[in-house]
Amino acid sequence: MTVRNLDLAAAAPPRPMSRLIAPAALLALALATPLLSDYALEIGFRLLILLTLAEAWNLLAGYGGLVSLGTASFVGVGAYVLTGAVNQFGWPYWAAIAAGGCVAALLALGVSKAVFRLRGLYFTVATLALAEALRLFMVNHQGFGGATGLFLAVDPPGLRHLFWIALSLVVITTAVMSVATGSRFSILLRAVRDDEDAAAQIGVRPFRIKLAVFMLASFLMGLAGATQGLKLGAVEPYGMFGVQWTVNVLSVVIIGGQGLRAGPAVGAVFVVALSEALADYPALHIAITGLIMILVIRYAPRGLVGLARTRGQRMAPLS
Amino acid sequence: MLSVDVIASSLASGFLLGGILALIALGLSVALGVMRLVNLAHGELLICGAYLSSFLMAATGMDPLAGLLVVGAVMALVALPLQRLLIAPLAGKGMEAPMMTMFGLSIIVQNLLQLAFSADTRTLEAPYTARPVSLGPITVPQVYLIGFVLSVLIVGAVHLLVAHTSFGRALRASSADQEAAAVMGVDVRKVHAWTFALGAACAAMGGVLIGTAFSFTPSTGGSYLLISFAIVVLGGVGHILGTLVAGVAMGLLQSVGAVVFGDGYRDLVGLVLFLLVLALRPEGIARAGKTG
Repeated sequence: MTVRNLDLAAAAPPRPMSRLIAPAALLALALATPLLSDYALEIGFRLLILLTLAEAWNLLAGYGGLVSLGTASFVGVGAYVLTGAVNQFGWPYWAAIAAGGCVAALLALGVSKAVFRLRGLYFTVATLALAEALRLFMVNHQGFGGATGLFLAVDPPGLRHLFWIALSLVVITTAVMSVATGSRFSILLRAVRDDEDAAAQIGVRPFRIKLAVFMLASFLMGLAGATQGLKLGAVEPYGMFGVQWTVNVLSVVIIGGQGLRAGPAVGAVFVVALSEALADYPALHIAITGLIMILVIRYAPRGLVGLARTRGQRMAPLS
Repeated sequence: MLSVDVIASSLASGFLLGGILALIALGLSVALGVMRLVNLAHGELLICGAYLSSFLMAATGMDPLAGLLVVGAVMALVALPLQRLLIAPLAGKGMEAPMMTMFGLSIIVQNLLQLAFSADTRTLEAPYTARPVSLGPITVPQVYLIGFVLSVLIVGAVHLLVAHTSFGRALRASSADQEAAAVMGVDVRKVHAWTFALGAACAAMGGVLIGTAFSFTPSTGGSYLLISFAIVVLGGVGHILGTLVAGVAMGLLQSVGAVVFGDGYRDLVGLVLFLLVLALRPEGIARAGKTG
């Protein structure tokens, strides 16, 4: 019991005011949607998809200690499942998107034995191998359109409609994150992250906790991938299983602040703004992202949010 | 139906290429074993070696394999300040920070190479690259045989370095117990710096051999990184002879995969094998897994 109490104290629940920021921002975005221009919707859609992915990755890495380089696997699977469900079975969008999330979670379940067998950074390398293996398989296997990919048999919905879908994804993700980071589960998760053996000693089952968080994050990534596939109206392995997804999500969370609730949102805005500023120089853009990542890891290990927080505490030591 | 000649030649090619893969994996293995560094930029170090060799060829007309040691030495000298700048300041901050830093480096290098040399496919041309050599039913490109021999020689040299020199003793001591080694007067920071340089040199020389036997682009490094990891897992971290055996086994299995499923599946076979080994028999790396 004492252990749990200690953990609760260490968890430092967010102040009531800051808890309202995310819902208020989402509500404001929802209300403003009819007013947004096509350009704003386009950027907004990208931001929201990236935010969903980053929240999921943050849950996995920041709260669960499971640093994944396999984001692309779950994005790709979500997009392909959506295309398959719509083309083959004529499912409505929402059901196809949900199916994308579910199959991504099942993929996580399927590979869990391999990726969790060894601790620590082997998870990272194994997830990277998974993404590359899936990409190579989709390129070479002719069953899913091979290297050219598949087209969505029906017209994708309009931009405003897609924006709404992406916004609902973020709402779902925010709800999931609130539950996952504010409940008993979050304590178990942190216990496993910080010391797997000690957690096992006091009766936590590390494998189950890790599997649950891996499946949950993969589900969210699958939803985001499916929505992206719906927007593109076509899927092909180089784009949907591309390492670019992994790089983007990683840089968002590392720059924003790993393991911090506001990290992904701040990071996503930063990364999307940077990509817009350097839109004409794609290679340079990625190189600069890498450089910023290295600098942040070195000088601000808790990202921009962590940096702002330490600054704030220094200025007002009593608050 | 495939003829016996084709199958035998393909397996022989796989065996020989496995030696080159072992050299590449060795570089990753020493960094992981000694520095606990998951070097996600290993593939880019390899590609840098290939570009360096192509630059050397264009500038001096030197044969790529004659320039092999030059490329290795230059990359080692480039790696030393890189390690001091990027990795050394992160000592004591866990394994994740250096790993992510190397990931950042890998995307920087990949994209700078693309800006400098475009995404075009390149090869390192030499008179022996296309010339075949035959033994009975087996026919393989001569360059595979040369690459294999050179790789085995370099792996052997690294083995001698680690097993029989004072640097090797310091390296083994730092690998086994960093604090104890430091207490006994080993300059662990220096050992780490030279270990990183050694790993980079292995990668770069492997890159030259890959460049002569195959082709390369700025973005081909990633798949060699993963195949190297699979070999390290199979052979055991820091186990030099194990790495050689695992490299050859990987080369053979990739060739079997290419014969059975088609050439596009070559790399996929290695990755699936890696995931299977992790799921079923991870004992080869159990020691490093615990410390990580």
